[in-house]
Formats: sequence, structure tokens, C-alpha cells
Amino acid sequence: MSVELGHFALVLALALAIVQAVVPFAGARLGSQTLMRVGEPAAVTGLALVVGAFAALVAAYVQSDFSVLNVWENSHSAKPLLFKITGTWGNHEGSMLLWVMILSFFGGLAAVFGRNLPPTLKANVLAVQGLIASAFLLFILLTSNPFTRLEPAPIEGRDLNPILQDIGLAVHPPLLYLGYVGFSISFAFAIAALIDGRVDAAWARWVRPWTLAAWAFLTGGIAMGSYWAYYELGWGGFWFWDPVENASFMPWLAGTALLHSAIVMEKRSALKIWTVLLAILTFSLSLLGTFLVRSGVLTSVHAFASDPTRGVFILAILVFFIGGALTLFAFRGAALAPGGLFHPISREGALVLNNLLLTTAAATVLVGTLYPLLIEALTGDKISVGAPFFNLTFVPLFLPLLTAVPFGPMLSWKRGDLLGAAQRLQAAFLIAAAGGLAAYFITDRASAFAALGMVLGFWLILGALTDLALKSGIGKAASSVALRRLIGLPLSVFGTALAHAGLGLTVLGIVGVTALEKEQILTMRPSEVTGIGDYSLHFEAVRPVTGPNYTEEQAVFTIYAGGVARGEIISAKRLYTARGMPTTEAGIRTFGLSQLYVSIGDSTADGGLVVRIWWKPLVILIWLGALVMMTGGAVSLLDRRLRVGAPARRRSAPVPAAEKA
Amino acid sequence: MNSMLFWTLAAILTLAAALAVMLPFLRGGERTVSEAEHDLAVYRDQLAELEREVQRGLISESDAEEARAEIGRRILRLKGANEEDRPPRVPGQGKLARVIAVVAILAVPAISWGLYGVLGSPNMPAQPLAARLTKDPSQASIEELVARAEAHLAANPGDVRGWEVLAPIYARLGRYDEAAKAYRKVIDLAGPTAEREAALGEALVGTGGGIVTEDAEAAFDRALKLDVENPRARFFIAMARAQEGNPEEARTIWQELAASMEEGSPWRVAAGQALASLAASERRASASGPSEEEKAAEDEAADDMTSEARQEMIEGMVASLDAKLQQDPDDPEGWRMLLRSFVVLGRRDEAEAALARAREALGPQSAEAGKLEEFAASLGLGTKE
Amino acid sequence: MTRKQKRLTIIGTGMGFLALAAALTFYALGQRTSYFYMPADLLSQPAQAGERIRLGGLVEAGSVVRGDGTRVRFAVTDSENTVEVVYDGILPDLFREGQGVVTEGAFGPDGVFVADTVLAKHDETYMPREVADRLMEEGVWQE
Repeated sequence: MSVELGHFALVLALALAIVQAVVPFAGARLGSQTLMRVGEPAAVTGLALVVGAFAALVAAYVQSDFSVLNVWENSHSAKPLLFKITGTWGNHEGSMLLWVMILSFFGGLAAVFGRNLPPTLKANVLAVQGLIASAFLLFILLTSNPFTRLEPAPIEGRDLNPILQDIGLAVHPPLLYLGYVGFSISFAFAIAALIDGRVDAAWARWVRPWTLAAWAFLTGGIAMGSYWAYYELGWGGFWFWDPVENASFMPWLAGTALLHSAIVMEKRSALKIWTVLLAILTFSLSLLGTFLVRSGVLTSVHAFASDPTRGVFILAILVFFIGGALTLFAFRGAALAPGGLFHPISREGALVLNNLLLTTAAATVLVGTLYPLLIEALTGDKISVGAPFFNLTFVPLFLPLLTAVPFGPMLSWKRGDLLGAAQRLQAAFLIAAAGGLAAYFITDRASAFAALGMVLGFWLILGALTDLALKSGIGKAASSVALRRLIGLPLSVFGTALAHAGLGLTVLGIVGVTALEKEQILTMRPSEVTGIGDYSLHFEAVRPVTGPNYTEEQAVFTIYAGGVARGEIISAKRLYTARGMPTTEAGIRTFGLSQLYVSIGDSTADGGLVVRIWWKPLVILIWLGALVMMTGGAVSLLDRRLRVGAPARRRSAPVPAAEKA
Repeated sequence: MNSMLFWTLAAILTLAAALAVMLPFLRGGERTVSEAEHDLAVYRDQLAELEREVQRGLISESDAEEARAEIGRRILRLKGANEEDRPPRVPGQGKLARVIAVVAILAVPAISWGLYGVLGSPNMPAQPLAARLTKDPSQASIEELVARAEAHLAANPGDVRGWEVLAPIYARLGRYDEAAKAYRKVIDLAGPTAEREAALGEALVGTGGGIVTEDAEAAFDRALKLDVENPRARFFIAMARAQEGNPEEARTIWQELAASMEEGSPWRVAAGQALASLAASERRASASGPSEEEKAAEDEAADDMTSEARQEMIEGMVASLDAKLQQDPDDPEGWRMLLRSFVVLGRRDEAEAALARAREALGPQSAEAGKLEEFAASLGLGTKE
Repeated sequence: MTRKQKRLTIIGTGMGFLALAAALTFYALGQRTSYFYMPADLLSQPAQAGERIRLGGLVEAGSVVRGDGTRVRFAVTDSENTVEVVYDGILPDLFREGQGVVTEGAFGPDGVFVADTVLAKHDETYMPREVADRLMEEGVWQE
């Protein structure tokens, strides 16, 4: 019964979403306060209902209720409890339900925390949120219903695709969706501004924290996905320029641009039209990502949907929202009042440069992702656009951007002094260059490219530190004063510094692993030894192991460094019995910031085992950097200024109880 | 009763949702704040923030002065715009708003009950696996009992008796692979006996779809080493000979088997039947009429009561396989076994029907269906499309 | 600078980046994309030795030969035409004879295809899309 109650709650949530889409909007048109206020309780109740539906599905998974088609298709009674739970969103239907739950979550947040927003703006924002929710709830109920039942119920399920039975999967999609869907709030604000024909002063204050939160989650989601692919697929790569990865990377690029242009808009009331456009583009790219992954138009590890009706339905949603938003923008965009003026060399100018480079980079990724689809549709030729394309287009655009990053925070608003900024960054540059040179010699002049990349990484990190030092007056004022000032700096300044330094860490990691990686493929027999980097691997034995829902052959290696055993590394060939599907489990061992990575292949006729070994220097920094960027976003969010949506505190509050929420 | 509870809860949920929509109408009007007031508050806050930044020395006094002037200009512009404040009142909006409100509140139950009526299965209870496995055994299906036994054996893999009970049930259900595994487990745990080896062999014959494979024959050989007299092993060794195209040897073994068993014992009957069908196929092969003697033997075998019982058992197995495939049609191996069984039983029409169902179930275009078609063709089925 | 000049600077910079990006994109699309071939295509439009292509088809049953160490030799077929492929490395988990495969690399001067990447299907229902489409057209494989 709980299953059916969950199903009913989902249908009821659709009804509420439709009400939420129509009534507040009508209220705003008619100028009726009462109708406008319907959005709030509808959004909150809708959230409760979707959460209930999701909980019912999770319960069905945990209890192995195979009378639910979705559970039968994707679960197995022998699966560990954790993967029963995460399996809920390891399939098309469940992941769409998670998508909608997060959408409702943001809608609910906007309703609760938006009590001090101008009422018309809020009504329109909630209406747009309701419209998106209606479209996706309808999509779920009509084409991808997770509550479809099976009679009679089979006694055992078909198990989840083994490569998805992983802790990485537990975290990756929710984070990614929090990012994707979080941008829906910025989108809703943009549409509301266009409908109204004006951008309230509170607009940017509101858009920025939502964008920041979504951006931080998306950063984490992408990093998690990259780490998952790294250790689970056993290919040792951290980024494949796979269309599905690109699908999450494009909104990230656009979202980063939006984040920066929202700063200009908040502080200086400039770039209004551009910010609105970026908000639309960012969410459009999120929707495009959802479409690419969910419709199965791409051949990819991630595309588990291949039902054409689903593809057409999502395409219709995509066309409706993106087309509708851009049309609205074309007609109403010009009506938005232009903002303040600024000199090309200024903080604003730097942020515009950042925006230009980020959006152009996003555009090249978009072209590279969609070009094969386009060519196939036009000529029928099948081509593939892979890493070489992106390295040739994306990297040249990103290098100047990274070089320019430390300058941005150094320039003042309106009119900046480039030379002055360069002087202040002198020390950072010299140390970065020295660091690069040192790296060059430490690695025995392995690669000049690596050395230059290292300079760039150090430059970003030191630039961020320089900014903090200058703002707190370290080196100029007495140290106790400087320390007090440093502590007193607004959190958003720390956020910026952390995010930029995190970018530097990621750059260091990427450069380290791309330029200095060592790789070996060889055949080994037990008790043979091979060396890689400063380590040697001693192949001990192969032993069979039985897991809860798989059996595996583990190859055990002992690692020696300078004749001392430094631990074991185990790679395995695993067979998931329910689907009879083999997988390779890579063995990974971390040493400082670097990793040894072992992946085994087939046995050879003479009793040997094909073994692939990588030494991956600084690889950890790639994800550590992302984590630092995320932390930067979180720190920035804690800034008091951002928590105040609009300063309702200081006037006779129209809705007294709202402030504590 | 369960379904009553469901509808009650559904009704409560609907009521709550409709109430949520109604809430703003119940609370009545409140003082409204104009958009300009909101903007003004934001600008004031910006000024305050500017002062804080000046105090910390983050921006120079001249920059701050400029910024102050700019915010001041925005406030002035706002005051100018304040005169023609919005929102515009649409005439007659009160009435229209009330209509919208009523429609919205009615829409909640209408949409939800309507759509759920189409999509839902309100009378289907949840069926958590644990509850299904612990309910009264007399009401459980065979599959559920088997799953229960499997769960028990997964926890106690050393329980020989459990495996010994489960193995023949698997065989009866047509799950020969698992039956073979279970017999192997029994042999591992409790040591081989002739009967266990022979039963393993029979299960392997099942996995081979009725063909005595090398593995199966090896099992029967082991059984005969332990007990030369084991009837099951002898019966299938004979079948192996017959399948190899050595009917003479097969006939000898079956005849010996029939002679050595008591009247009415199942193996004697089975051997008699096998002899009869051997004779019949030879007759067909030589295309000559049956000799009186052979015909009599065949009739005798067919008349035999226990032979009918055996036939019944075979048909029972076929029926259970059939049922299993209806439940889980995505099982090409199962379809292959069913087709072969129907052909062996001489029920070609049913075989054709089963083939059509299999085509449907596997998807007419699928690779599996293709393979199945080939297999069917080898049995002489599916020629008339 | 006047207001107009400032605006022109920004627009000019923007256009400059777009032009740069467009130029890079077109250059890269011309250079760095690889066409997909099936063995039969190579009869009508042979690929140059050294030209980077993707070659797809089914792994011919019985063709997989493991050489010394990690070298593997196998044949990719569309059931009529066959191409010899050599590969040095670890084959994917789901690489099996008779199954779909996509290899990426170039022909050596001796007419043997030297692959540096081998992709097999990722689960039991997945088939490299290009291969599935083409084999279905030719009726060799059915979904």
C-alpha cells in the first residue's frame, strides 16, 4: 500500500505544481495579492508530497518489493543495503524522480526564504518553478513511471548494472542534480524579470546566492563523477570529454560566468541584460544535459534510457523552455534598464573578460558535443569528436582566462589600474616562476610543458593569497592589526580566494598527471617484480573471493619503495552473478598527493596476467582542488550579506514570522 | 480493508493539498508593500555596506564617495518612478480572481484522482520480500518456498539436507542449472553416492535440453562405479547410446534394465517406453510398417498405468515451465527447452504457439529471437510464417 | 575614452574571442575527428595508411590470438569482409568473440589495422551504436 500511496502522492504533487504554475501568475497579472500568495503553500506542500513519493520508492527498494517493476528491473535481494538505497536513483525512472524532488526542494526553499521578496517577483518565480515541475512530473508519470506494478511479483530482481554499484554513484547524481536544478531558480528569476519588464534591486542579491549554491554543488558533482569514472571504469583517466561529461561541464562553465556577472550586477547594477541571458543559458544547458543523457541520443556509459517516446517528450520540454525563454528575452530583454558605466580596464571589465572566455569555451564544448549528432542527421556519416578536438579548442581559450584570474580581484570597480595590479602581483609571479623551475629540475627536466603548467597553477594559488594579504594589509600594517583585519574580512572575500586557489590546485593536478604520468603494460606471473617510478611491485598471487552478489579473482601485489614494503595493492576481475557481467576493479594506493593505479586484464596462455600500472603524480589535487572550490562557494554563502535576501529587517515587516524561517 | 485504508489516506492527502491551496484565501488581505519600497530597502543596505567597507579600509574614500553618489542617484530615480507605481489594477479582477481560486481548489482533487485512476493500481498491496518469505508456507507459491530455502541455504551453506531437498525441486521447476549446482553441493558436502551422481547426471541432461552431454555421461559413469545396478544411471547411459546413433547397444541396456526391475517399478516402465519409442522411430526410419510384435509392445507400454503417470509427470514439468515463462518470458533458454519438450511430446501445434509467444516476448527483432528461430527451424518448426 | 569607444572595445574583444574560437573549432573539426568505417566500407573507399579512423564490427569467432606479452591479434568482421587488427594493451571486460566492438587507430603499411583503443559493449544490452545501426541495416544482427 505504501507503494501506491507514494504513486498517489506523486500524482497529487503534479496537481499542485499545475496550480502553482497558473494561479500565482494569474494573480500577478490581475494584481491580486491573494492569488499570488497561493504559490507559497503549493510549493511547500508539493515538496512534502514528492519527498513522500521518493521515500515510498526507497522503501520499496530496501524491502526488495519486486511487485514494483522498477525495483525488479534494478535491484536484487542479495545486494548490500547501501546499494539497494542508492540503486533507487541508479536507473532512469528513479533518477528522474530524484531530479524532480530536488526541483521541488529548491521551489520550497524559494517559497520559505523568499517571504521578503517583492510579491510580484516571488509570484512569478514560483510560477516558473511550478511550470518546470509540472512538465517533469508529467514526463515521469506518463513515460517513466517508477511506480508501475508487476503482477504476479517475481521472487528475485535482475540486479543493478554492476558498474553503478558503487559509493561514487550514491553521491554523484544527487550532487550533480543539486547543481543542474539549482540553476532553475536563477532561470525562474530571469523569466520573472522579463515578464515584469524590470529588474528589482533585490534581483541580483537573490540570484547570486542561489547561483553560488548550485555552482558549488555542480562543482562537487562533476568532481565526484570524474573520480568515479577514474576508479570504477578501470581506464585510469579522470576526464574523457565524453558527451555526458560535457553535458555537466557546459552548465558549469555558463554557471561560473553567471556567478561573476551577478557580482557586477549586484554591486554596480551593470550587465543586467547579459546576466538575465546567462541565467537562461545556464539552465538551458542543464536541460540540454538532462536531454542528452536521458533521451539516449548519445552512445555513452551513462545513457540507460533508449525509449524514443521519452526522448521526444524531453525534447518537447527542452524546446518549450529554452525556446520560450529566449523568445521572451528577444521581446522583453531590451526593456530592461541599462546599468552603470565602466572603463574596460576595471573590475567590471575583468569580469566581462571572464564571461566572454567562459561562454566561448562553453560554446566550443557545445559544438564538439553536438557536431557528431548534426553531421549524422545531415549526411549520415558517423564521426567522433574526442579529446584531441577539445584539447585544441578548449585549452587555448582557457589558458588566457587562467592567466587573468589573479588580476580580477586586484582591480578596482569602475576604473582600474592594470600596471598597479601587476606590480602588486609581482611577488606572486616570481615565486610561481621559481616553483615551476624547481618542478622542472626535480622531475629531471621531464617536460617543459609541465613546468609552464605548474607556473600557472602556482600563479593562481599565490594570486589568491596575495589578494587576501593585500586586503588585510599584511606586510604593511603591524602583524596584530593585519591579523585582526584578516579575520574581519567579509567571508565572500575568503570565498573568492578559496575558489581561485582551488582552481590552481586542480590545474596543478591536471598538469602533473598529464605530463608526468608513467604507464606500463606487461604480462606478469606470480612472484615476478616490476618497477614504476620510485616503486616496485611484487606480484604475490591470485586468490578467489566471494562477495555478497559477486565472485572475484583478486590479484595481490606488494609495493616496495627503496626495499621497504609499503603495503598491498589489489586489483580484481569481478563477476556479478545475477547479470553474469564481468567488471574490473582497479587497485589504487595513495602516496601523498600521488597514486599508484593497477588494473588487471586477461590471463595469458602461459599462466601470466596482463597488468596495467600507472604512476599518477599529483592526481589527488584534481579533486582536492574541486573540493576547495566547493568550500569557497560554501564560505561565500555564509556571508551575512548574502543571507539577507532583501533587508526586510529594517522596516515594519509585512510578514512578521517570516524572518526566523 | 487494506484498500479502504489506502483510499482514506489518499483522501486525507488530497484534502491537505486542497487546504494548502486555500490557505491564502482563508487568511484574508494584508498590507502590501510596493516594489519601490523593496528597492529602497536594498539601496539603504548597500549604503550601509559601503560604510562598513570604508571603515575596514577596503576601498578608498574617493571611491566610496563616487559609489555613494551613484546609489544616491538610483534612489532619486526610484522616487521619480514611485509616482506611477504598479501594479495596475485590472477592472473586475475580484470576480475573475474568485473564479480562478475555485477552479484551482477543485483542480487538485480532479487532476489527482483522475490521473491516478488511469495510472495507479490501488488494490495491489506492497509485497516486501521478507514478508513474502515469512508468511504461512501453505499459502506461499512454490517459487516463494524455494526462495525461502535459498535464503536459508545462503546463510547455512553447509546444510546438506537443505540442498538435498531443494535439488529435486529445482529439477521439477525446470531450473536444471541450479539443480545441478545443488546436487554438486550435496556431493561435495556429504560425499558421492550412486543415486546422487545419477541425479546430478539427470539434471545435466536437463540443462542440455534432453541431450546426454559429456558431463552428464561422466556423472552416470561415476554412479555406475559406485553401484552397477543403479537404474537411473543405466537408463540414461542407454539414452546416450541411442542419441549417439547406437540403438542396438541402447536396446540391450534398456532390455536388461527392464528385466532386472520388478513389475510396475517406474524404471521398468520407463525402459519399456523407451524401447517402444526406439522401435517406433526405427520403424519410421525404415519406412516399413510396424511388425505386429513391436506394435503390441508399444500398445502395452501405452496402456500401462504407471506409464501414464510418468507422462503426467513430464507434462506437469512442461506445464510448470510454461507457467514460469509466462511470468518471466525473457528467458531464451527456457523457451528452447519448452519448444523441444512440445516437439518430443508430439504437440507440434502447441510448439508453434509457444514459438509465436517467444517471438513476441523476446522482441521479434532481437538477436535472441533470431537464435531461437534457428533452433526452432532445426526442430522443423516455424516454417509457415 | 568615450562611452561609445568603451562599448566598442568590449564588443570588439568579444568578437575577437568568438572569431578565435570559431577558427580553432573549424580547424580542430577538420583535423581531429575520425570517421567510422565498417570492413565493407574499406572496399569502396579505402582509408590511407596512417589516417586515423574508427573501425567497427563484430569480433570474428575464433580469430582472437594472444601474442607475446600484451599483444593481441583479432579480426573485425561484418560477416562478409574481415579486417585484421592488432592491439597492444588490456582488452575491455566485455570484449568477446562474436560481439560488437569499435576500435580506433590507423592502418599500418602492411594493411593490418593497428588499434590504440578498443571499446566493447558496456553491458549485456549495449552495442556500440554505430555498429548496431550498420549491422541492422545489413541484417546481420538484430536487436
